Amino acid sequence: MSNEKKKPGALRKKLLIGGLIFLLAGAAVVWYIFTEKFADTTGEKAAYTVTADALIQEFSQNDSLANIKYAEKIVVVSGIVSETESADTTINIKFTDTTTGSYAIFAFQEQHLAEAKAIKVGDQVSIKGSCSGGAFSKILDAEFITFKRCALN
Amino acid sequence: MKKSVLIIGLVIAAGATFAQKKVTTSAIVSFDATTSKDALPKADNKTVVASLDTKKGTVAFEAIVKNFAFSNPMIQDHFNAESWMNSEKFSTAAFTGNITNLSAINFKKDGTYTAQVEGDLTIHGETQKVKTTATIVVSGSTITTKSDFTVKLEDYKVSGPAIGAGKVSKEPKITVSAEFK
Repeated sequence: MSNEKKKPGALRKKLLIGGLIFLLAGAAVVWYIFTEKFADTTGEKAAYTVTADALIQEFSQNDSLANIKYAEKIVVVSGIVSETESADTTINIKFTDTTTGSYAIFAFQEQHLAEAKAIKVGDQVSIKGSCSGGAFSKILDAEFITFKRCALN
Repeated sequence: MKKSVLIIGLVIAAGATFAQKKVTTSAIVSFDATTSKDALPKADNKTVVASLDTKKGTVAFEAIVKNFAFSNPMIQDHFNAESWMNSEKFSTAAFTGNITNLSAINFKKDGTYTAQVEGDLTIHGETQKVKTTATIVVSGSTITTKSDFTVKLEDYKVSGPAIGAGKVSKEPKITVSAEFK
C-alpha cells in the first residue's frame, strides 16, 4: 500500500529530471547555433576545382546557370594573379580575363590575410573560398565573380 | 605636323577623361542590424564595385548580396533567405547618385572634404531615394571616401519575424568605404 503511494512521487521526480535534461539539451543546441562560427576554409572540402579562365568563361556565357552551380559552394580556383587590391586593412586577389575585363575576386578569411598580403601580381596561385556567385557590372561593363572566406589552397 | 599635334592632343584629352572616372573593385559595404537582443546580424562585403567621376560628381556602387560575410552561419542563411533579402532572386544591391556640392571639393588638392550625396539605392528589388553625407579625403592621387547612413527595411519591403521581435534592427546602419587610386 505504501509502495503504491510512493509511485506518483517517483514518477514526478523522473518527469522533472527528464524535463530538466530536455531543457538543458535545448539550451545547449541554441547556444551552439548562436555561437557557431564559420570553420577555417582550409579544412573545408571543395565542391569544384577549376581554372580562373574556365570559371570566368562559364559565368560570362550564362551567369544564371553558373550561379546555380557555384553559389555558396566551396570552390578551388587556380590562375595567374592579375591584381592585388587593398581595402582598409584587408587585401583582395583578382584573376582577370584581359580581353573582356571580367574577373574573379577573392576576399580572404581573417586568419589568412597574411598569406594574401604576400601574393604578388603574376604569381600562379590556387585559392579556396566560398563562391558568392557572379553578376554583370553596369559600372565596369564586365562580369564579376566574388568569393568570401578565402585561403590559399 | 598639324595632324600629329591634333592626334597627340586627342590622346591627351582621352587620357584625362578616363582619369576623371576612378574605379575600385574592393570597396567595402558594412551592414549592422544588431540590437540589444542580438549582436549577430552584421556583416561586411569587401568586393564591392565602386566608381567616382571627379568631374561630373557621379558616384555608384554594386554589390553581390551573397558576398556579405557573417561570422555566424545561421544568421547568414537567414539574411539570404527568401523571407529576408531573397538573394537568390535579388542578387545585387546598387547605388547611383551625385555629389550635389561638387564645387566645394577640390580633387586636385590634398584635404578632407564633406560631400553631400543624393541618389537611388536599390535593395531587394526596391529603389528608394537616399540623401547622405560622405567624407572625402584627397591625398595625392588617392581618394578615400566614407559614408554612413541608415535604411528603413520596410521601405525596401524587407520584413520577417526576427525584425518584428526586435532581434534585427528595423533601421540598419550601412557604411560604404572606398579607396580610389
